[in-house]
Amino acid sequence: MKKNNVQQPALHKVIMVGSGGVGKSALTLQFMYDEFVEDYEPTKADSYRKKVVLDGEEVQIDILDTAGQEDYAAIRDNYFRSGEGFLCVFSITEDDSFQATMEFREQILRVKNDDNIPFLLVGNKGDLTDKRKVSLNEAQSRAQEWGVPYVETSAKTRDNVDKVFFDLMREIRARKKEDVKGANGRGKEKGRRKKLKCNLL
Amino acid sequence: MAKSPVVTGISPKEGPPGTRVTIRGEHLGFNPNDLSSLKICDCECMLSAEWKSPNKIIARSGPGKGRGEIIVATRSGGVGTCTVQFRGYHETIGPLKESAVWVEEAPLNWGRQNSAVTIFQLDDPLGLSVEGDDKFPENELSELFPDGSGDLLSENFEPAWFLLEHHHGTSFDDLRVGLSYLKRKVDSQNEGQLSFLKDNVGSVMEQLDTLFLLKQSYEADFEKNNETLLRVEEAINQSLKEATNLFHGVLTRREKAEATRNALAVMTRYKFLFQLPINIDRNIKNEDVDVIINDYARALLLFGKTEVSVFKKILEEVETKIQNLRISLKAKLHEMPTTLKQQKKIIRNLVSLNDNSDPGWEAIIYMKQFIIDKIKSSYQQYITEEQVNEVPNKNNRHPHNKHKRNISLSQQIEPQNIEPKKVLCIDEIATVISDYFPDLWKLGQNYFVGDLAVKPDCSHETDFKEMILDIIVTVSDIYRTIMLPTTTTSSFSPVPIIWLPHCLKQIRSVFTVLMALDLPNEALNKISNVIFDLRLHCLNILFKQASEQIVLLKTTEKWKLEYHSKQGTISQMPNEFYKILTEAMNLAKEYVIRDESRETALVNNETAKSELQLLVHKCFWNISQVLEQVGLNADTNCSSTTIMSLGGSTVTGFKLQNELTWEQKLLVTVSNSRYTRNLILPKFKKEFEDNGFPTIDTVVIRAIELLENTESKLLETYIETKSDPLVGTIEPSMYVGSFEWDSSSLVPPKDVRPYAKEIITNLISLHSEVQTIMPDLMYAVLSAVIITISEEMSRLMNCVTHFSENGAMQARLDLMALTYALSNYFTPNSKDFFCDATDAVPPFKTEDNEKYITKCFEQFKARMHLQLMCFLVPCMSDDETSIL
Repeated sequence: MKKNNVQQPALHKVIMVGSGGVGKSALTLQFMYDEFVEDYEPTKADSYRKKVVLDGEEVQIDILDTAGQEDYAAIRDNYFRSGEGFLCVFSITEDDSFQATMEFREQILRVKNDDNIPFLLVGNKGDLTDKRKVSLNEAQSRAQEWGVPYVETSAKTRDNVDKVFFDLMREIRARKKEDVKGANGRGKEKGRRKKLKCNLL
Repeated sequence: MAKSPVVTGISPKEGPPGTRVTIRGEHLGFNPNDLSSLKICDCECMLSAEWKSPNKIIARSGPGKGRGEIIVATRSGGVGTCTVQFRGYHETIGPLKESAVWVEEAPLNWGRQNSAVTIFQLDDPLGLSVEGDDKFPENELSELFPDGSGDLLSENFEPAWFLLEHHHGTSFDDLRVGLSYLKRKVDSQNEGQLSFLKDNVGSVMEQLDTLFLLKQSYEADFEKNNETLLRVEEAINQSLKEATNLFHGVLTRREKAEATRNALAVMTRYKFLFQLPINIDRNIKNEDVDVIINDYARALLLFGKTEVSVFKKILEEVETKIQNLRISLKAKLHEMPTTLKQQKKIIRNLVSLNDNSDPGWEAIIYMKQFIIDKIKSSYQQYITEEQVNEVPNKNNRHPHNKHKRNISLSQQIEPQNIEPKKVLCIDEIATVISDYFPDLWKLGQNYFVGDLAVKPDCSHETDFKEMILDIIVTVSDIYRTIMLPTTTTSSFSPVPIIWLPHCLKQIRSVFTVLMALDLPNEALNKISNVIFDLRLHCLNILFKQASEQIVLLKTTEKWKLEYHSKQGTISQMPNEFYKILTEAMNLAKEYVIRDESRETALVNNETAKSELQLLVHKCFWNISQVLEQVGLNADTNCSSTTIMSLGGSTVTGFKLQNELTWEQKLLVTVSNSRYTRNLILPKFKKEFEDNGFPTIDTVVIRAIELLENTESKLLETYIETKSDPLVGTIEPSMYVGSFEWDSSSLVPPKDVRPYAKEIITNLISLHSEVQTIMPDLMYAVLSAVIITISEEMSRLMNCVTHFSENGAMQARLDLMALTYALSNYFTPNSKDFFCDATDAVPPFKTEDNEKYITKCFEQFKARMHLQLMCFLVPCMSDDETSIL
């Protein structure tokens, strides 16, 4: 009955990526239900959607929580295709997960074929400072290299949890606006994007 | 009314029926009982729903298919909404099916779970409500009462534990109240039992009755439904069994499938090996031996050391096939005839197939045997055919006239044009040699050089040489046997002369073939010896034939005369003779004398030289014989004489064109002989030597001697036959008509007497005969005849006892006339005889007589001038005589 509602708020599709056990689902659940789940249960592919107020505007956020395990690597492509923004999560206590972000980034860029896709590098488990393996500098330099923001969160303490989702949604919204504009002058748009890429390099 | 439930999260968002789904949202009910409905994809999943909290329900998805909403309904909030979707998909998942989704193997028992809270909760035995949240630490309790338990129903119930656990915060008064409550309760139970029964006897009885009734009706029911039950039980058992069977069936099938798949995998993996036998068969059919070799080598490399029995079995099969192939290849190798290339290929193949034997050597042996057999068989065939043909018919018409002699299509094939068996045999052997021997030799060379991929066995080298020699010796022996009469057992007719050059050519071609092969000298010499012998034989035959033909000349003499300006008249014979000789010489030159490379020079060979001289001499001797015979035997059919006789015999003038008198023939023969001697012989000698034949000076000299002998013999005969009748006629003619020299009745002579004229006339005819045929011999013939005449005259004159005067005058006149006429041809002898004769006549009585006689002589000269002309001009030039 809601489907027919023409005034559906804007929908931003966010996809959580990252190695297994870094806290993607924890972040999601914390964001969605203010709930911290202690027991670990590997995710397959979960879907969440709710209304939020972004900068005074009611929007819908759709979160696809994907599986981090390599077992599901093959089906990721399909999921990534539908995403508009990505939260690439790693655990600051696990270097492997940080290294894996490279792969995810590559895969996303390959699937989306867009170097400028809204993308946030998220270092989770920020509360476990004593077990830190990935230095802030390291992560930041990588983010800089990619030209994306880097945020450290804690699903347990809800530190920065809302911030990452909202930041991402803002980026998505900005992109969408750009694209609408770009529909009129795509060439210019592309040129701009290319140029940006060059600057990064 | 509370807020309606909203589902905002689903985990996972898709799955097959039965997926355990965590549903999150808001206002999902206050408690489990508040939840009234849960629909996933329009499927009611209430049975499996497990209410966890107002935010979370866990359920299992139903059989719904495709995308669908999750709608939660609560008693308090009614039907809710949802922002996420679940996708259900069907997937037959079995033990053999891979799945991207984890399927829990726990029994799928979602329909059986009780959603109600099943915790057995006793009221507090003290009738006190528990207050306060903080519990007494449990581990402390277990430390305090190691053997006890706080459970009321446990055997080792520890009241202190219970109190500490539940009421450590309860005040003492409360506890006392609780105790009194407990006591009251126990008391009431203890004493109240009996009174309770008494109070309720009626209802107890009623209960009993009811129980009894229940029991009865149950029994009746049981009776009634027993059968059904049994059947049901049986059916259940049956289905249980079936199910077990099915399960085992599935298992075994799966095992089977697994095994088959494994086998298939093995098959594909080792497809090469398994298909090898078939491939070998196919390739054998296609004669693709190289492929087989390749495969075989690969198979050996890959599986040669395998321990797997299947592979071993297949390898065995392959091995037998390869063995068969080897055998068939060997058979092919032994199969003749074949080409060198093929042989080499087969040998290489055999070697590649690890054949242990020495195929190259075998091939050589077989090839040699083949060649020998072939040669021998053609020889044998020839011998048997020869024997067969000799007995029944000489009509040797051989089926294949494969050679170039152009045979007319007509049936009348001249026997010479059909190749005799012998020649065929020679041709065949030559073909065999030139076709196969080079292959054998090359094969051998290749073998020893090591080109055949075989390590050559050097010990075979001498064997090989022997084999080559064997073949050569066989061939040369057969050739010798067939062609050379010296070595034959004389059972075979010699090769006809016209075929000899052909045979020689064949052998030479064989020799050329062999020479091109760079054979050892020993072998080549064998053949060259045969060739030499054959050439000698050829020469022999050619000249023998020539001399035979020369002998035949005497029968073929046609006396067709031709005038030759210098040599006089000759018949065809000398030229025929020359023709025969030159023909023989040319043939000999063409085929025999000309030395081909590496052949022994025939001309330089002493035996050959003497042989040749002998042969030529034989020819010359034959011609002299023939001339003699022709000259002497020509009289048999013609006895006519041309001598004019006053006795009245008829004069048969000869006609040069038609028929010759034998004397003429004799003369022609002499002329022929002279011609031969003077012209033919030097001409032939020159040509003979020009053509590279050895010099035949001595032979020619001897021939000239022979011919001279013959000539003189013939001439003698001629003169004899001519002078005898001539002389014989003198006396009768002198005394014809009873003439007497002393008769007184004689009148003085007026003219020369007829007998003298007759002599002159006869001599003239003789002269003309000689002049026609042999002017050169004129003097010799005439003078010889004249000697006899003069002798006769002197005899006759001396026999006259007395001359009358007139008779003496007459005699003188006659003698004067004769002397005058014949003086040019006088020899001292004849002169003497005439002087004798003149002396016998008395001298003139008177000068008048002498004058008279002189006058008469003058008259005679004048009268006989024309007749005497021929004698008086003895040495006429050729041009003038040619007027005749």
